[in-house]
Amino acid sequence: MNAPDRYERFVVPEGVKKVSYERDTKIMNAATFTVEREDHTIGNIVRMQLHRDDNVLFAGYKLPHPLQYKILLRIQTTSQSSPMQAYNQAINDLDKELDHLKSQFEGELAKHTRDY
Amino acid sequence: MEGVSYQRFPKIKVREVKDDFMKFELRDTDASIANALRRIMIAEVPTIAIDLVEIEVNSSVLNDEFISHRLGLVPLTSERAMSMRFSRDCDACDGDGQCEYCSVEFYLRVKCLSDQTLDVTSKDLLSSDHTVVPVDYSDASSSFDNTPNKGIIIVKLRRGQELRLRAIARKGIGKDHAKWSPAATVTFMYEPEIYINEDMMESLTLEEKTELVESSPTKVFGIDPENKQVTGKCMIVGNPSAPPGIPLCGSRWPNMIWDYASGEIPCLFFEKVIVVDPEAYTYDDEVLKKAEAMGKPGVVEIHAKEDSFIFTVETTGAVKASQLVLNAIEVLKQKLDAVRLSDDTVEADDQFGELGAHMRGG
Ligand SMILES: [Zn+2]
Repeated sequence: MNAPDRYERFVVPEGVKKVSYERDTKIMNAATFTVEREDHTIGNIVRMQLHRDDNVLFAGYKLPHPLQYKILLRIQTTSQSSPMQAYNQAINDLDKELDHLKSQFEGELAKHTRDY
Repeated sequence: MEGVSYQRFPKIKVREVKDDFMKFELRDTDASIANALRRIMIAEVPTIAIDLVEIEVNSSVLNDEFISHRLGLVPLTSERAMSMRFSRDCDACDGDGQCEYCSVEFYLRVKCLSDQTLDVTSKDLLSSDHTVVPVDYSDASSSFDNTPNKGIIIVKLRRGQELRLRAIARKGIGKDHAKWSPAATVTFMYEPEIYINEDMMESLTLEEKTELVESSPTKVFGIDPENKQVTGKCMIVGNPSAPPGIPLCGSRWPNMIWDYASGEIPCLFFEKVIVVDPEAYTYDDEVLKKAEAMGKPGVVEIHAKEDSFIFTVETTGAVKASQLVLNAIEVLKQKLDAVRLSDDTVEADDQFGELGAHMRGG
C-alpha cells in the first residue's frame, strides 16, 4: 500500500540535481560528488578509472543505503589537478574506451557472421 | 586545463554467436568495466513487455491478476525498444502510455467451444505492431521434443470458458521489473593462467599424477595421450653411470626406472600431465590442496588474469545476444553522459572558489 513506486530507483525526481558537488572544507583539492539514482555500475567504473589518474590521491565511492538511490563519490587530488578535473577526465576516458569497445565488438561480429 | 588521458583500448574476440547465445573474450580492461556491462545487460537494457491489461471477459480458472502477470512475463521481440520512449516521459500522450511512440497494443480473444481442452498461448496475442510480437521459439533446434511449437501457454480453457482482453506493452528495464530483462544469464569469468612445474611433476609417479589430475572436480588436467604408454625401446645414447654395455634412455627425466636386463625400457615416467581445458577450472583450489597434501606445493600454480574475461550471454529472445551487448555499451555511454557535471554546478563552484580564495587571502 505505501510501497514506493519502483521507478523511484532510477528516475531523478523533479528539482533534484543528477550530480551535485561539495568541496571539502578542511582538505585542499578534495570533494564529494553526490550522484542521484546511480549505483555500483557507475560508482565502480568511475572509481577505478580515477585510480588510473596519477594526480588522484584518493578516489572512493559508497552506496550509503540500499533504499537511498544515490552514490557518494569522494576524490582528492594533488595540486596539479582538481577533483572536478579528475572527474571529468575519468568520464571522458571511459566514454572513449566504450567507443573503442563498440567498434572492436562490431568489427569482430562482422568477421564472425561472415564466416558463418 | 586538459589533463592527460588514461584511456584503455580493450580488445574483444568473439568465440561463438547464435541468435540467443554468445561467448566472447574481453581483454585489456578491468573487472569494473566487465561487471558494469554484465549488470547493464541484466537490468538496464530496455525491452518491451506487457504492462497494462484490461480484461473484458475471463471465465477461465485463473483470476485476472494471475493472467495479467503471466502476460507480462511473455518475452516480446524488442529491437524497437532502444528507439522507443518510456511512457513516463512521452509527451505525445502526456504519459498515459497509450500512443505509438511509447506503447504497443495487443488483443487476445479466445473461447473454447469443444470438449477438448484449449490451450491459450502467446501465439493468440494479436499485436498492433508487426515488429513487436511474442518471441517465436519454434526454430529452436531442440532435438528432444518434436512436438510442433505452440508458443507459451498462458491458461487452459474447458468447454464454454472464454478469455477476452486488451493489453498494452511498454518499454521498460529489468531494474523496474524482471519481466523487462532481456537476459537469461550473463556471466563472466577471469581467464585462468595455469602453470605446471614440469621438473617437479616428473618427480611424481604415474599414480600420483593420476591422483592429482583426478583431484580437480572439473576436467582441467589430463594425461597427454600422445606421450602415454611409451613402452617401446627408448632412445639409446649411452649412460655413463650404467653398467658397461647398458644403454641410456635419451629422456630428460633422470629418475626413470631402467629395465637394464631386457634392454627394453618401459617408460613409466613418460606420462605427461597437461592442461586440457583451463576454462573448466572453477577456482576451487582442489588441485592446489592435493599438491600440498602430496608434499609437492607449487607443482601446479594457478592465477586469474585480472584483465581478461570470458563472457557468456544468453537472452530470452527479446533481442539477439550480439545486439544485447551492443545495447549495453550504448546504455552505459548514455549513463556516463548523464553523470557529467552540469554547467551550473561548475559555475557555482567557480564562484565558491573565488570566495574561498578571497576569504583565505583575508
Ligand atoms: Zn506515449
